Amino acid sequence: MDDEIVKPEASDDPRRRSAERTLLIIIGATLGFAGLIAVVTPPVASLLGESRHAIPGALHGMSAILFVITGTIGAYMGYRLFFGRLADLRDLRVIASINACLSLLTVMFGNWIYIYYRAKGGPRSYFLETNPVVHEIFFEFKEFLALFTLPLSVATAYILLREREGLLERRWLPEIVGVLLVIAWGCLMLVFGLGAAITKLRSA
Amino acid sequence: MVEKEGAPMGARETAQQPNGPIVAAFLSATIGLFVLGLVQVGTVVSDTFKERVFDLGKAWIPEAEGIGPYSGKETLMLVAWIASWVGLYFALRHKDVALRPWFGAALAILAVAALLVWPPVWHLIE
Repeated sequence: MDDEIVKPEASDDPRRRSAERTLLIIIGATLGFAGLIAVVTPPVASLLGESRHAIPGALHGMSAILFVITGTIGAYMGYRLFFGRLADLRDLRVIASINACLSLLTVMFGNWIYIYYRAKGGPRSYFLETNPVVHEIFFEFKEFLALFTLPLSVATAYILLREREGLLERRWLPEIVGVLLVIAWGCLMLVFGLGAAITKLRSA
Repeated sequence: MVEKEGAPMGARETAQQPNGPIVAAFLSATIGLFVLGLVQVGTVVSDTFKERVFDLGKAWIPEAEGIGPYSGKETLMLVAWIASWVGLYFALRHKDVALRPWFGAALAILAVAALLVWPPVWHLIE
């Protein structure tokens, strides 16, 4: 008799699938309602601001905030995976895939907003005149470190999607994936903090 | 490095696939970032290299004029990352390797890459 016990994935449970569908509907309805209120009550222009870079700025900020949320969830799951406390990797696969997409989007929108940062009379020239260290440390290091999140997130998502539940049976792989998730999150948080500091010091 | 032989198919097939592609994925990510660090140092040292890097960015990134040489640095990082991933994937796809030393090497490369993009470091070279 085969002594290997094949555990059913938690995702096979119809009650869980039903609960997830309900939760998604509630989240969707709440976001839709909040969005409707936001669009109907104040003018959209007031939400975005009046400058030339309002749209890229909003998109970059929004994708970065979403990335911080999903990245933090991913890092927490990575921590649990590292210590062997995560048995079902389905949610982590979803989060890691979202992280990879959000990293790409945030970098792309970051490129767009960078044009305004470097433009004549923009924050870059202001910082170079008044306090070059702010540009060099806050911005230049941030722009490079932001790129760190992309290959790390994509590699993590690839490993999780390729290995699926078999990942847990590989020696050292859960620990490796946990470390990758936490490193990418650390880079993200540093970049996010530096980016927020720049906007506080001087908006584009 | 040990070649994996005839992995049996079955319920635990995934766990028995060669793990070389896993190494290819995380190692190539850090190689791409290491190249980013090297390119950054190169642009600090040589204005001609900086121009060439900028030309590379302008070749395909929209509005690269506004982004400056950063566009070319991103480009080279992407090229190094994708090319090394493809190369390592084909080199390791049938192999089972010890994950821990390879991951240690990847972490070391990542640390050097982070150091190379830290402004005080390339100001020392300038």
